[in-house]
Amino acid sequence: MKKIRDKAWYALFVSPLIFVFTTVVIIPFIIGIGYSFISWDGMPLNEKTFVGFDNYIRLFVDKRFMTSAGHTVLFTIFAVLLINVLGLFFALLVTSKLKARNAVRTMLFMPYLIGGLILGYIWKFIFTDVFKSIGELTGWTKVFFSWLLDPQYALAAMIVVTTWQMAGYIMIIYINGIQAMPEDIIEAGKVDGAGFWQTLFRIKFPLIMPSFTISLFLTLSNCFKIFDVNFSLTGGGPNNATEMMAMNIYNEIFSLSNYGYGQAKAIIFFIAVAIITLIQVSITKKREVEM
Amino acid sequence: MKIKKILSVLLAAIMMLSVVLTGCGKADEETGKTGDEVKAAKKIIVFQSKVEIIDQLEALAEEYKAETGVEVEVWGTTGDDYLQQLKIKLGNNQGPTVFSLVPGAESEELKNYLTDLSDISFVDDIAKNMANEINSKVVGIPYTMEGFGVVYNKSLIDASKITDTASFIQMLKDQKAAGTNGFSLSQESYFLIGHILNTPFALQANPLDYINKLVAGEVKMQDTPEFKEFAELMVAVRENTNNPLEVNYDTQTGDFATGKSASIHQGNWSYGMFKDYDVNFEMGMMPLPISGNDKIAAAVPACWYVNSQATAEEIKAGKDFLNWLYTSETGKKYLMEEFGFIPVVSTMESPTLDPLSASVSEYAAAGKTIGWPNSYWPAGIVDVYLVPVAQEFFTTDMTADEFLEALTNAFVEAGKAK
Repeated sequence: MKKIRDKAWYALFVSPLIFVFTTVVIIPFIIGIGYSFISWDGMPLNEKTFVGFDNYIRLFVDKRFMTSAGHTVLFTIFAVLLINVLGLFFALLVTSKLKARNAVRTMLFMPYLIGGLILGYIWKFIFTDVFKSIGELTGWTKVFFSWLLDPQYALAAMIVVTTWQMAGYIMIIYINGIQAMPEDIIEAGKVDGAGFWQTLFRIKFPLIMPSFTISLFLTLSNCFKIFDVNFSLTGGGPNNATEMMAMNIYNEIFSLSNYGYGQAKAIIFFIAVAIITLIQVSITKKREVEM
Repeated sequence: MKIKKILSVLLAAIMMLSVVLTGCGKADEETGKTGDEVKAAKKIIVFQSKVEIIDQLEALAEEYKAETGVEVEVWGTTGDDYLQQLKIKLGNNQGPTVFSLVPGAESEELKNYLTDLSDISFVDDIAKNMANEINSKVVGIPYTMEGFGVVYNKSLIDASKITDTASFIQMLKDQKAAGTNGFSLSQESYFLIGHILNTPFALQANPLDYINKLVAGEVKMQDTPEFKEFAELMVAVRENTNNPLEVNYDTQTGDFATGKSASIHQGNWSYGMFKDYDVNFEMGMMPLPISGNDKIAAAVPACWYVNSQATAEEIKAGKDFLNWLYTSETGKKYLMEEFGFIPVVSTMESPTLDPLSASVSEYAAAGKTIGWPNSYWPAGIVDVYLVPVAQEFFTTDMTADEFLEALTNAFVEAGKAK
């Protein structure tokens, strides 16, 4: 009897979620796959033509889409590295015996609470107006100029802003991992004569591997799908140098009204992100140690 | 066993529900019926792109309700994503009754959603070529006339001396030597490239034909004299003035109002921006003088349309509203005084105009206007294709020829995307 009741409860709690997930994710996704085979401008009364795999063939020779894929990869590599290194560093910092650790923790987490769009507009002001003024005042115009006007620096600006936003959040995940670490093992290591670096790499890192899995997954998928900061900070410019894949798809669908083609891009984008994150998860999962 | 049954029933129910829910969006209503027996609906929804008049429009809605008893709901917009929002709403059959579009590529794309407005009483009084006609039926009622060109400071520039590209470039150099910024564009897509590139198009013998040939790759800007002069002028702008990518609409108009810039490329709509400043000089508008052009680019920036997918009652109410707006005393007062529109219907006479609108009006009266072929460019081209080219132009040493080549390629690319 107990078993049956458990299952009933299970169904009761899970079914609303399944319902929502099916209606807002799975069904639109399936419909979306259908749309990717037609050429259509999104208006129901206007003509839809079935074009088969044309949309998919076209996107592989679409120079602009491919360049935006390149930017996305470049951006993701740097942003993921930077976010995780900083997040881990912050986590180690605020779990040490620092006096102001709670205040620091709050402040580091704060940027995550600001929406990406607003964040982008704030930093747009900093990178254009503030940087220019600093440059004029100090004469260090090599570093302090309007970053958003230079293709490479604009991409760097994207990385800086994303890191600033995400590092605090990733820090929380690492803090969790660090605090769950059993003290006795670390102490045993110290007794056996392990130094700081040895403790860090041989004992602490393997123990917080689950945190690495989660953090890397979150940062990888978030950076690939970055849109809000991209939209408000650079708008894809200058000269498309910072147009990420999500933005390219947005432009294709909403600015150029190519719903079918944009949808095909979105499907390819989904497959790419899914494959990359799955590979990452399977690699880091293998390295997790069981206690 | 029982549990399994319950579970499967639950699952089936969920699936049923989801099918029903997705099906809802497709429920078609009987639309498009017109006839005398149709009564006007008690409520209509208005959605339009001109952000500047939203507050006034809401006040107007109040008055309309007081006079006729029909409620008008005004939907807000930030302006930037108006067209996307509108398309999404129309596509979901939740569209507004009355909405606005830019006549041209936009109205052409959505023509299936536009009601024939030929039976509106004042249609014959609309100034020539101002109403939007598709398949020789009037579907759009013009808002106003707007013009853009070089808005200049009369105390710094003598317009009579600027008659061609060379004299304009000379002016830029003179102003630079005098420590003022001669001319300013700004970073927003249309203020950066969309408007200024309109002029060489409008100077072609047949602008629409030229656009089609350009998109098809049959002509190139770099082989067309008007465009060559345009590019030459742009190079001079890059060399002698502020970088427009560092200037936004606020700073552009602010610098002009405070005398730091001698001229800006803007339209009569920008006059509202000067209200916050004590402008102590006279301003006027002159043509962008490439190839000796002496005409201002003036046209209808937007038209009112009635949603053909609304119910017959709503369509009737929408037409009544437009009728009232352009023929009743209250409506006309709002159009001219509150919205600041230049009259486009012959039965209206606007008493007072700001200096820039007056300039536009004068040029129009003298027949010295060129149109806005830029509304026939491939949809979405300005933001997605032209802005990147302009950004590259203003941040590198691109030559005039390379600039034109890149712009030509942008048109070919944007045309191919269809």
